[in-house]
Amino acid sequence: MNVTDPMLPPVRGLIDREGRLVEADKRLHDLNARAGGGVGQPIAIPQIATLTRLAQRLGILVSRGVVAADGDDDVELWVRAEPGADGVKLMITGWRTRAAWHPEALQGERDGDFLRSAGDWSWETDSALRITFLSINAGAKHGFDSGAMLGQPLTKLFALGEDREGAFPILGGLAMHQRFDDQRATIRATGRPVRLSAAPRTDASGAFAGFVGAVHMIDDEAPEVAPKLNGSGDGVSEAFAARLDHALRTPLGRIIANADSINAQSEGPLRQDYADYAADIASAGRHLMGLVDDLVDLQAIERPDFVVAKEPVDLADVARRAAGLLAVRASEAQVSIDKPAPQEVLPATGEFRRALQVLVNLIGNAVRYSPAEGMVWIRAEREDGIAAIIVADQGKGIAIEDQARIFEKFERVDPREPGGSGLGLYIARRLARAMGGDVTVDSAPGQGARFVFTLPYRE
Amino acid sequence: MSSNDGDMDDGTHRGVSKLLARAAAADVRADRRLAVAVDDFFLPDESRLDERLRSALGGTLSALVAAVESAVRRHAARLLATRGVPELSIELETGDPVFSRLASAGLLRDVELMRELVGRARQDVLAEALPVDAPEDPDRASLLARLIQHPDSVVAAAAMALLAAESRRRGESEGLPTRTDLPAELHHRLVWWVAAALRERFVALADETPNGALPALDRALVEAATRSVSAHDEGDRLEAAAMRLAAALDARADELPPLLVEAIADRRPALFAALIAHALGVDHGDAREILLDPAADRLWLVLRALEVDRASIARIGLALSEADPRRDLDSFAEGLDDIAATPATDARAALAPLLLHPDYRAAMVALGRGGRA
Repeated sequence: MNVTDPMLPPVRGLIDREGRLVEADKRLHDLNARAGGGVGQPIAIPQIATLTRLAQRLGILVSRGVVAADGDDDVELWVRAEPGADGVKLMITGWRTRAAWHPEALQGERDGDFLRSAGDWSWETDSALRITFLSINAGAKHGFDSGAMLGQPLTKLFALGEDREGAFPILGGLAMHQRFDDQRATIRATGRPVRLSAAPRTDASGAFAGFVGAVHMIDDEAPEVAPKLNGSGDGVSEAFAARLDHALRTPLGRIIANADSINAQSEGPLRQDYADYAADIASAGRHLMGLVDDLVDLQAIERPDFVVAKEPVDLADVARRAAGLLAVRASEAQVSIDKPAPQEVLPATGEFRRALQVLVNLIGNAVRYSPAEGMVWIRAEREDGIAAIIVADQGKGIAIEDQARIFEKFERVDPREPGGSGLGLYIARRLARAMGGDVTVDSAPGQGARFVFTLPYRE
Repeated sequence: MSSNDGDMDDGTHRGVSKLLARAAAADVRADRRLAVAVDDFFLPDESRLDERLRSALGGTLSALVAAVESAVRRHAARLLATRGVPELSIELETGDPVFSRLASAGLLRDVELMRELVGRARQDVLAEALPVDAPEDPDRASLLARLIQHPDSVVAAAAMALLAAESRRRGESEGLPTRTDLPAELHHRLVWWVAAALRERFVALADETPNGALPALDRALVEAATRSVSAHDEGDRLEAAAMRLAAALDARADELPPLLVEAIADRRPALFAALIAHALGVDHGDAREILLDPAADRLWLVLRALEVDRASIARIGLALSEADPRRDLDSFAEGLDDIAATPATDARAALAPLLLHPDYRAAMVALGRGGRA
């Protein structure tokens, strides 16, 4: 697993006027060496060579996001090239490894659009949190002077409040330059409660340039949570979920099937890059399909009348089956799964199908976050009246402060990691709890993650 | 056509002959469609609207017509209701929109209207496409937010008006606009077109409308249109607000380059155009056209005429190239030394025709459009 913290110190380098690499920090040096270059030779990463030449010819600092090949992977870099007397100075941050299909690249651009369309009205700020845009009729509608708020600090329009855990989501968003939701606030002019969410805007070198945000008006009658009427959970109505399921599944299935057959070149030969695009399309389609499944599940488990069967299950058997279902994915990722021995039995009470779903999710996560040649252990244990399946991996682990967050809706173990809807663990825990058990995690960064799925033990 | 045989099934018969007639016309239609497709295919790429622009333009145009139409309709209907012609009033308030009628009559092909709307759409697309540029110091407020705090109240007020106008303009896409934000002349034209199209529909129904209703309709439509015309203040337009700010700043030669660079970095092409318009003494529309032209030679001349330095031109050129794939960054970088070496006086001389009286220039262009003598 590549360490991909954008907050890491930047990697530096210097390229002379003839385009030769003069000096480079280790990471740049290594990347360049893997591309067949070395110090004193022309820089071997074509995208950086182009950027350097451009900066030199224009005579100004040029920042750009580039994707460079690194072995079999692509790595995303934010490169700043600044021409000076002795050549072009490079400063590179980012260094994230890119999957074949990368939902976040899309998400960054689209987040703002989605936010805007979901909110009641929208706002934007610059990096100093001065308001640079407001939905112009919002003021008239909600009792403040839109015009007078433009150019003012965001906090002049909103009084920010803490959430239930006493935190200010906007501060996290600002510190990490990431999206935040559910920042409670009131409109100063009227005292009306609102909920703010926003996505960051970053420039080509990854620097924070402001927020694009939305405001959700909160009804005075129901200040805390959206009312759950007629079995609809959290705004996802039953009819909507059913329609979503139906309307998306069929076309997505067709997209995936066709993309797969293009990729397999079953209708005749094709240029390799087009075949690869088809694989990207298929994998994006599968991602969406998984998201649809998750949303339909989410809708089901959030209904007040959601019930699970309480039937006798053999958790060790369920774990073996889940591991079997993931065998192909694991071998593609060069990860081995050590599952409970065939004779092991762990009687418990729950619903077979749901328990399998929980374990497929946990083991799937473990495989995803495992390094190549890594190992995922699945152990069955019994403690008093509790039957437990433990899924442990050798991934980079989960920081203590993130351990509560990852079970929340739309949260991910690693938000920079591609794939996943951020619903899996939320759904897994809800299902486990509905069956009288739980899903918990203990882990420390660098030590791998250990997820424990418990159900009531059956004597 | 024979329909005198007293066939009981006259309806079917008429249906059949309609079908035959349509089929006979199909050849002609297919031919016309092909001709349009051929024309479309051979349009030079650099002048063709891309899909994004097309949809932006379509959206703006129909929204503007709808805004004018709803104001005229509603007011005229109210007048008619109070004047005892309630049937017409209801009819007026509920009828189909006039957009397709104006389009089919070719009125919306008006060159000046389209010049304004295409320019506006391109400007919006550019604003969205310009690269986001984070300031070196994240705590430093962006250009307009800083200008709002300017000690000179004229500058502060103009900056605030510009931010508000931009919010309003962008808000158009979020809902039905209530104003057209057009230059006065174009707004007036549009209002009268809409009024005439509304009237036309009732003339067609003249047999069914009571006596004296038509003059009442005319009076109501004229009053409603006049009201719309006089309520329109072109000083509220985004472009006008940008020009007022440029005039209030009245940047000196050494202040202008950083302002231009920051206007682009802050993704405010309307302000950029206003700054060069003010500095050169041309109108905003001309400056905008120069800014939006992907073959940016005139823009480089303008910047040199304003004595903008090499690094600033490089920054502006880089940002514009990143925003618009039709611009050729490579040849810009190649030619930058020549651009920077152009003496300001030469650049000014080359731009002299731009500074001639706008009507004079329009007449020359119109003459050229009609073909050479």
